[in-house]
Amino acid sequence: MTSDKSALPAVLVVEDEPLIRLEAVDTIEDAGFRTYDAGSADAALKILEAQDDIGVLFTDVDMPGSMNGIKLAGLVRERWPSLAIIIASGIVDVDKAQMPEGTLFFPKPYPTTRIIAALQDIAANLRS
Amino acid sequence: MNEIVVQSLSQRYDVQNLAASLAVLAPRGRDAAVVKQLLAREAIETVVVASLDGLAAIITDGIGAVLVTEEALAGGGGALQIAVGEQATWSDVPFIVLANGAITNRSDQASNRLNALQNAVLLSRPLHAEELIRSVRSALTARGRQHQSRTQMEQLRLREKQLHESEAKFHAIADFVDQMIWSTTPDGLHDYFNHRWYEFTGVPEGSTNGEEWNGVFHADDQARAWDRWNHSLATGEPYEIEYRLRHRSGEYRWVLGRAQAVLGANGEIQRWYGSCTDIHEIKIAEEQRQLMLAEMNHRVKNSLAMVHAMVSQTLRQAESLVDAKASIESRISMMSQAHDRLVQSTWTNTHILEVVLAALAPHSNGEGRTTIGGPDLPIGSKQALALTMALHELATNAIKYGAWLGEIGQVDVNWKVENTAEGEMFIFSWIESDGPKVQKPERRGFGSRMIEQALAGYFSGTAELRYEPDGLSFDLKAPLAGLTG
Repeated sequence: MTSDKSALPAVLVVEDEPLIRLEAVDTIEDAGFRTYDAGSADAALKILEAQDDIGVLFTDVDMPGSMNGIKLAGLVRERWPSLAIIIASGIVDVDKAQMPEGTLFFPKPYPTTRIIAALQDIAANLRS
Repeated sequence: MNEIVVQSLSQRYDVQNLAASLAVLAPRGRDAAVVKQLLAREAIETVVVASLDGLAAIITDGIGAVLVTEEALAGGGGALQIAVGEQATWSDVPFIVLANGAITNRSDQASNRLNALQNAVLLSRPLHAEELIRSVRSALTARGRQHQSRTQMEQLRLREKQLHESEAKFHAIADFVDQMIWSTTPDGLHDYFNHRWYEFTGVPEGSTNGEEWNGVFHADDQARAWDRWNHSLATGEPYEIEYRLRHRSGEYRWVLGRAQAVLGANGEIQRWYGSCTDIHEIKIAEEQRQLMLAEMNHRVKNSLAMVHAMVSQTLRQAESLVDAKASIESRISMMSQAHDRLVQSTWTNTHILEVVLAALAPHSNGEGRTTIGGPDLPIGSKQALALTMALHELATNAIKYGAWLGEIGQVDVNWKVENTAEGEMFIFSWIESDGPKVQKPERRGFGSRMIEQALAGYFSGTAELRYEPDGLSFDLKAPLAGLTG
């Protein structure tokens, strides 16, 4: 694990439930990543347009607003193809076929250690 | 029954078969004896009668044919005319009349008497044996034909009656059942719908014959129904489909359609018989069950994610495991109680006052230590849970370090709606006074993060905790819409 935060990509956390968002942000920051957070896909897009250090989109599926997490992931893959995408959902029969290729999927509640490991893999791939 | 009557009549006249026998009325001379003898040789049974009344009776009883002398007819005979006239429609008993002298030049009266017999031939005398036998044979043969056609007619009539009864029975059953019943020709053209079909759809009788049935199907189900039906028509496989059928009220109702082909002896499809069963209530209940199940599942998952977040946050900020254990237990218990209340008030119809009262009830700390006031606004389930959690943290803190620690400290909880430049704002305050001197904590625990970050997020507003020396206070400002959105 590295302590050099600037060497790691920032993670954009998109989750409509504030308490769960808080916990996701803490978990990811504890692993050494910087974070941005948004409560909806629309807010997430605004952050993506304004920031250029985001390397990972970490999003929930079921959210209020103009699009859900899967649609957001599709749009992000089109507009920012270099971003790694992680989707987490509590929906039992979530349609993984709709997700962009290469998307990592995790159930909710978050399996913290697996998510951290996945983020570190992504960071390692970006460096090499 | 009929057979028995015929038999007993034959016995009465001492013949094997009255319907194939010849009645003879020739009172004068030896004619009767000669005829009887001649015919006996030909195995034709005869019954000799003595009078016109006797002749009338044996005609009514069903004699095969009659041989009568012309002079015997002359002696009146009202009963005979009645017997001839009252014969059944199928019956026309043949008469052989032994002429009185020459066959021609007969008086009008004598001609009328012959005409009254309806079906008579004249035979000249003296009797010529061969002629007599031929005449009797042909009369009895003709009579046999009458009996045959009578039997056939009766069979036909019986069959017709049975058919009529069976059809009446079918219609009674078909119109009594709660299902819609229909049938089609082998090529799938509808030619029958029961009463229930017309009652359900409200369409005019006959208007859905042929291929018109598809029009009362929901537009989204028509193509699917056609495909399924055509497949069954092509393969002979049973037809089964759920679709929406237009009710006479204009509403589309879910219906289960089924049909089966009836095969003839050669294996060819003769007809299709089908039914439609209204399954709307079952279908809707099933859909609602699925929706509820999905919603329940979502909520359970969400609750678990919340508990996970709370536990993880508590552990992250805890000073010791013992502290963490106590905090987690009390927070889970609080979340569980909040959940119970939300279920009781059906999740959607919650008001803020009951949420505040219920959240503070477990921490109630003596009379007059708390004032609570504000308009009883409707509040969404997520906001209600978040407010409960925030109040739990504030109350716990007040007991441990704040206004409720000593004997005199006060907590004022109030909320209001204010018209501002940004529209209607909801403002919620928690103000402690007369407690121990407040010190800002060195580290921010779960409670303060829950209040300042999470709570504000749930209400789409801002929240601020102020550690003022006189007492801790807290403000939440959010657009009124954030209370339920």
